[in-house]
Amino acid sequence: MPADAPLATITIAGGGFAGWLAASLLARALPDLAISLVEVPGPDRSLGVAAAADVLLPDDLPLLGEAGWNGPDLLRGGRAGFVLGTALSGWRADGATAFMPYGEIGAPLGPIPFHQLVSTMRRRGQPVNMANYALGALAAQAGRFAPPPPGDETVHAALTFGLSIDTARLAEMLRGDALERGVRLAGTWHGEAVQRGDGGVQRLVLADGTSLAADLVIDASGPASPLSGARDDWSPWFPFDRVASARRTSEAPAPPYVHCDAHHAGWQSFAPLADGVGELFVFSSADAPGAPAAEPFAPGCQQAAWTGNVVRIGGAAAQHDPVAGLQLHLALADVLRLIALFPAACEHPAEAAEYNRQWREKTECAFDTALLRLACSGALGAVWDRLRARALPDRAAYRRDLYAANGRVVLHDGEVLEEAGWTALFDALCVQPRKGDALSDALPSAKITAHFAAIRQAMIAAVGRMPPYQALMAQVAA
Amino acid sequence: MNGSAIERIVIVGGGTAGWMTAAALAHRLQGLPVSITLVESEEIGTVGVGEATVPHIRFFNARLGIDEADFMRRTSATFKLGIEFRNWGRKGDSYIHPFGVFGEEIEGVAFHHLWARFARAGGRDAVEAFSLPVLAARMDRFAHPDSDPESLLSTYSYAYQFDAGLYAAYLRAYAEARGVRRVEGRITAALQHAETGFVDSVVLESGERVAGELFVDCSGFRGLLIEQALHAGYEDWSHWLPCDRAVAVPCRSEAALSPYTRATALDAGWAWRIPLQHRVGNGHVYCSSHISDEAARDALLGQIEGEPIAEPRLLRFTTGRRRKQWDRNVVAIGLAAGFLEPLESTSIHLIQLAIGRLLDHWPDRDWDPFCAREYNRLMDLEYERVRDFLILHYHATERDDTPFWRQVRTMAVPESLAHRLETFRKRGVVVNYRDGMFLDASWIAVYLGQRVIPEAGDPRSEALSDAGLMLRLAAMRDDYARMAAQLPTQAAFLARIGANAS
Ligand SMILES: Cc1cc2nc3c(=O)[nH]c(=O)nc-3n(C[C@H](O)[C@H](O)[C@H](O)COP(=O)(O)OP(=O)(O)OC[C@H]3O[C@@H](n4cnc5c(N)ncnc54)[C@H](O)[C@@H]3O)c2cc1C
Repeated sequence: MPADAPLATITIAGGGFAGWLAASLLARALPDLAISLVEVPGPDRSLGVAAAADVLLPDDLPLLGEAGWNGPDLLRGGRAGFVLGTALSGWRADGATAFMPYGEIGAPLGPIPFHQLVSTMRRRGQPVNMANYALGALAAQAGRFAPPPPGDETVHAALTFGLSIDTARLAEMLRGDALERGVRLAGTWHGEAVQRGDGGVQRLVLADGTSLAADLVIDASGPASPLSGARDDWSPWFPFDRVASARRTSEAPAPPYVHCDAHHAGWQSFAPLADGVGELFVFSSADAPGAPAAEPFAPGCQQAAWTGNVVRIGGAAAQHDPVAGLQLHLALADVLRLIALFPAACEHPAEAAEYNRQWREKTECAFDTALLRLACSGALGAVWDRLRARALPDRAAYRRDLYAANGRVVLHDGEVLEEAGWTALFDALCVQPRKGDALSDALPSAKITAHFAAIRQAMIAAVGRMPPYQALMAQVAA
Repeated sequence: MNGSAIERIVIVGGGTAGWMTAAALAHRLQGLPVSITLVESEEIGTVGVGEATVPHIRFFNARLGIDEADFMRRTSATFKLGIEFRNWGRKGDSYIHPFGVFGEEIEGVAFHHLWARFARAGGRDAVEAFSLPVLAARMDRFAHPDSDPESLLSTYSYAYQFDAGLYAAYLRAYAEARGVRRVEGRITAALQHAETGFVDSVVLESGERVAGELFVDCSGFRGLLIEQALHAGYEDWSHWLPCDRAVAVPCRSEAALSPYTRATALDAGWAWRIPLQHRVGNGHVYCSSHISDEAARDALLGQIEGEPIAEPRLLRFTTGRRRKQWDRNVVAIGLAAGFLEPLESTSIHLIQLAIGRLLDHWPDRDWDPFCAREYNRLMDLEYERVRDFLILHYHATERDDTPFWRQVRTMAVPESLAHRLETFRKRGVVVNYRDGMFLDASWIAVYLGQRVIPEAGDPRSEALSDAGLMLRLAAMRDDYARMAAQLPTQAAFLARIGANAS
């Protein structure tokens, strides 16, 4: 194959969620490509761990929309529930529950960020619950919800939501779409491949003995991929090593948020679907001797996602502790990045280098997000004590320590949380700034209190105008 | 106010950095029990240059509540739509880096990919035919942009070119009206705490002592506090940006009032031309190991358009940045913090950014080390990213006609820039980051303007037929040309909004 030959054929290894997502989005973006997909037997670990439900973050929805998948498709195809944030129980040392909403919290007062005003009031002895000033949290609490209508400029427009989807159902829909657009299902693959010298693959050998060559191989076969390269092990930071998932059906839709409950050996989450709940149970095997059957998993990532002509996406590139609910978001980011940087030629070191740079940035930020979510918690149990006793890596430690010093949020290039998201995370876990913003501290309490009251009043009024969540979901179902 | 709040701020220096800082702090800290004192020395004077800006300055002025027409009248300012670069890619080349975008994307494919494909298919229109600010600049026309995203007038932004001395005076009046105390006199010593090295006060020639808790060092290149007292250290970048001197001279204006700055590459550096309402600022930035001061001055005088109205002034500098821009209780802003040559008019923006970041990380007398640490991390990133953008102008050249150009064309560049260049050259991808003042459009303007044309593009751009693409681009080009021709001249526009200097 001449190096500058145009890239014309792709093979996707793995027919799980990540594989069909890549197949559908690539077939839509680049209709001239010849795309084949080979299936890998066994449960779908293409996103990292097999979960009954996964979450699309608020920012993912417009990106998917641009790629051709709109909200109504996702709602129907994924039996989705809306997600306004995450409710935490058992995560705080003081035993209190907390809510981490998506979207902005409160509103700044002139140039002063809302969370600095909160911090000023708390240091003056006034307890303030940030969630009382977040539209998503108030809507979740009231059991009311409606997506803001397009072009809305009222308080309602600030309502920020993601979707919790039934992973297997949505994979089915993506598969149907990809096949309709000409993606070829080429057979079953057990992992045999003829490697090239450069970390790439010449051809895959299929179960029936035939072989399949491709200019580019997209590895969507999950963390145990036979095409795995050198890997960084994250187990020193992440003690949880077992995962189990289940889907429960229910008459009524579950409320519009993810509920995450910490317990002595790990944590458990419940993600809302249109007709039930996706449960995830994650724990440390050393701390839960009598636990029911669960699958082992080992957080870590590839040293490079793209080597030679192999691009690893989703769980094949990195396996994160699922605590921050990012695995679907990250797989989508991988596919969109691949499309944005799609190579013109069979040899493509420049595209691969830039892909790897962006992927690493994002992977590190997701690592920090999951790690801080665990390490800042006050949950009770020996495994949590061990987690907290370990020194954090520099970057994650700096994020926490800076916030604890003065409430500032560090933002790198690959963030999965923006300032509001980090603030919500730290605040929910009781990490509080020692000092505040001097300009905020100079404001009289009455002025801040009046500002808070005005925000809360406007938000409560906006929530009051939303329909009950159950009614909305009944309408979606109809 | 907490018990350890800063109560006395001392700003050392009354150049652009000092008075911008004083004005912004006086505004933001209004009503708080804080005193702001600014010390400057007329005898030492200011650097006296620094007249071309970037659009962010408008937000600085707007925050302070400054009225545009009033400000332009009193600083003899003109509008700026971008910078014309002459002779950079090759001798005879000219392109404009505008404050705006090129073309429109089609079906999710960025315009520069479409243009590159169009050029590969034999399309003849230069990329500037697809930029309203460039077309307007070439015709000396200007009007305010429109916020309606449907309008072509929303495709650009603008900055100013002003008289630096008048701007400092303007801000001084603003700051003094808001309680800033100005002290005239030369500082001869800084008194430091014996153990911590924190600056307690500065001593003037007269013997007067000015004490404070927070010191903002705006003393220019010398870095009176940050370097001479605290020895923060300086990271020298002259192996990448070897120009180390400038000679500046204002002259009478002989041409139409152009709404852009010009940077003309010469044999061992480049010359600026900054048109103000009442005069033109000129200067020659050069590398002293490749040209003598005398030859540099002659080269400048030989190419200015009108009679000089002052003696040429020589300035020396070392490109680089202070290792710690915030050290103990001293924050360096302006030339005291570092120097990046004025090729992209970035220094005043870096001043503005520093002031904003200082307010974001406002300390108290407990001096939590995290304030300085995060401030320095963020400012370091900004300086590095501007640095890379400047190096690009020198390095992405085909010039081979002097030893200077051979040196910069073949030198090793920072890894970060090498990756950016390679990625654009091979596949037309603009590598960019969250922090850093230059957006994708700026990188594209300089890449294409300096003949870095992608060898391959986004495969999605192949979905359009050649004929279809030609048609779409021709329609776009006609829209831009029609709109540019409708704009008023800058002179007419200044008169219309009442911004003519008296
Ligand atoms: C050749 C050249 C061209 C430039 N062009 C541009 C441009 O187009 N756009 C742009 O944005 N920037 C430009 N800059 C940068 C810009 O000029 C500076 O960023 C800006 O003027 C700020 O300077 P400053 O206030 O830090 O320093 P200065 O102007 O040097 O001011 C220093 C102040 O400190 C005082 N001082 C110093 N020592 C003492 C002492 N011992 N006692 C008392 N007072 C003291 C001085 O009196 C003076 O008031 C250019 C710079 C150079 C060198």
